[in-house]
Amino acid sequence: MVHRQVAAGLLAGFMLSPLAAWAADTIKIGFPMPLSGPTAVYGVPITKGAEMAVADLNAAGGVLGRKLELFSRDSKANADEAVRQARELILKYNVDFLSGTLTSAEAPAVSTIAKENKIVFIASTAKTTQLTAPQNLHPYIFRIASNTLIEGHTGAALMAKWQDVKKVATIAPDYAYGRDAVGAFTEYLKKVRPDIEIVDQQWPRLGEPDFTAFITAQMGKKPDAVFCDVFGGDFATLAKQGAPLGYFKAIENRLIDGGEVATVDLAQALGADYPYGIISDSYDPVVWGEGEPAEHKAYVEKLKKAMNNEYGSGWAIMGYMSIVAISEGIKKAGGTDSDKVAKALLGLTFDTPVGKRTINEKNHETETGEFWSEMVKDPKVPFAVMKKPVYIDPKPYLQ
Amino acid sequence: MSASFLFSQFMGGLTAAMFLFLIASGLSLIFGVLRVLNFAHGSFYMLGAYIAWQIVQWVTVSFPGHFWLAALGAALGVAILGGVIERCLFRFLYDRAELYQLLFTYALVLILGDAAKFAWGTQQLSVSRPEIMNGGLQVLGATVPYYNLFIILIGPAIALAVWLMLTRSPVGRLVRAAALDREMLSALGANVGWIYTGMFMLSALLAGLAGALVTPIQSIVPGMDVEIIVQAFIVVVIGGLGSFWGTFWGSMLYGQVLSFGILIFPGFSLFSVFALMAVILIIRPWGLFGRPIR
Repeated sequence: MVHRQVAAGLLAGFMLSPLAAWAADTIKIGFPMPLSGPTAVYGVPITKGAEMAVADLNAAGGVLGRKLELFSRDSKANADEAVRQARELILKYNVDFLSGTLTSAEAPAVSTIAKENKIVFIASTAKTTQLTAPQNLHPYIFRIASNTLIEGHTGAALMAKWQDVKKVATIAPDYAYGRDAVGAFTEYLKKVRPDIEIVDQQWPRLGEPDFTAFITAQMGKKPDAVFCDVFGGDFATLAKQGAPLGYFKAIENRLIDGGEVATVDLAQALGADYPYGIISDSYDPVVWGEGEPAEHKAYVEKLKKAMNNEYGSGWAIMGYMSIVAISEGIKKAGGTDSDKVAKALLGLTFDTPVGKRTINEKNHETETGEFWSEMVKDPKVPFAVMKKPVYIDPKPYLQ
Repeated sequence: MSASFLFSQFMGGLTAAMFLFLIASGLSLIFGVLRVLNFAHGSFYMLGAYIAWQIVQWVTVSFPGHFWLAALGAALGVAILGGVIERCLFRFLYDRAELYQLLFTYALVLILGDAAKFAWGTQQLSVSRPEIMNGGLQVLGATVPYYNLFIILIGPAIALAVWLMLTRSPVGRLVRAAALDREMLSALGANVGWIYTGMFMLSALLAGLAGALVTPIQSIVPGMDVEIIVQAFIVVVIGGLGSFWGTFWGSMLYGQVLSFGILIFPGFSLFSVFALMAVILIIRPWGLFGRPIR
């Protein structure tokens, strides 16, 4: 009897010990992100960026002498699935931190799990202002991404510079992100340019396969310029259907898109069909041209290798920055205790390949701007690039 | 509202309608003859788009007509795949309850979706318009892109061809007989199994062709399969399940209601379309051209 118990104990100990040793050694970060479905276009490179940051930090000896370990999960862009995985990552895999999530549905849902379990959660991509609104803010939630307020205000500030523009139209996907960003845009535009009239607003649904009717309806109102929030594959569809209808020509390419259609990912997909001359943003210009910082050059070189492609991705930086923020928080806190790291993250400034970012103590936001530029043809690459990427700090527009 | 504006809105609706018809016709055909609601029809459409992109990559762009070659190759490729799926899997399902058929076609959607992701990744892909289709025609002060014009013409052409095949050819007679009474037809010595395979391949061919033809004006993304099947399904329901011309007019109605609906309710682009479906289902539950069952 005793023998058997000892044997069982030994066996259990033997089976558990590598796990236990593993658990003590690494700092574990759960990373739910859509890796399948239409939004995997973003989820896959963002996860790659996070993996790369983990590899970089581990190659440099880890954080406080401990290696990082990334637990990547497919959230399927579904809030319920992201929540289920966040719970499993915490309860079963004992992750120390959470990061990731793409959509404005996933991030607030995972944020409540982080609050429940008192675990730091760094939302990497979602833009909804709801995430850090006063009633939803808690000590463990932080955001690396920009938000719809910043996007709308920056777009309006750029639009306001065109003195001869008097009639503006908007087109954006019909869900929280599009509605919020366009709302912020019109609100700020009215403030800075009360003389401008909003003549038309189109709300195609997300994933709309045929924009023709929306485009012709908008052209009928004869706007001078357009603020657009259609992004990703939808923008490619809009561009390909709009060009032969004369949409971009009618507004003399005065279209400002806040949905990161300046990323190399989309520019590559569109190739020569890109509507040159429009203005858009990207978190990372990737093809930077003049004035590229050395650390960015090194980052992109590594990214190309990690992604095994020719031009990397403009989205990977979001995953990369999230992991860097966590590691800097751990270093400042001197350990992985979530309460201490959460405090350390407040007001923390950290270096990234695209410049310094600081987490606002009050709203837990990095309040990050993006790189904006006119999109032009470049003889060196077979796709549209940013003419001169300029980082626009949104602080002046948030007063 | 000027006449040219209304006209361009009408042409936009017409283009949308013909695209939907290309896709929905195959779905309707399969339901009419095989009595199976094939949810994987959208997956065939998606594969058509991916295969067309792949062929464009393989054939040098300088080769004139590379796009048309790709469209043809994609349509044939998907037709062959459809044939294989019908022979190896589908034909065991005809005698099962509808629920099993639905589950099976849904499983196919997931399998083919993952297969496409495995083969082509998650990046959005794009094919450029064939060069002779650049530019557009000025009609009544509105611009109608040549490519849209081409789609507007090819829709009715395919409708007519399939209709002639079904009503005027000996093969069509067999197909109609198979739809009416399968046992009797096979007792009379016709090979019903191959008729079904043929119809399934034709339906897959139409889906593959639609997928290929859509690439110059849409991006190819994972999830486009599910996106389109819902719309195609609405069109088929509006027109009447299994009615070929019903699907044609259902698409026309859908396109115009969508196009003019956004003028009336700009904030609710999908409202008018679903309202249309609801109204039709209340007044004529069997659809515009369908026949009441039993």
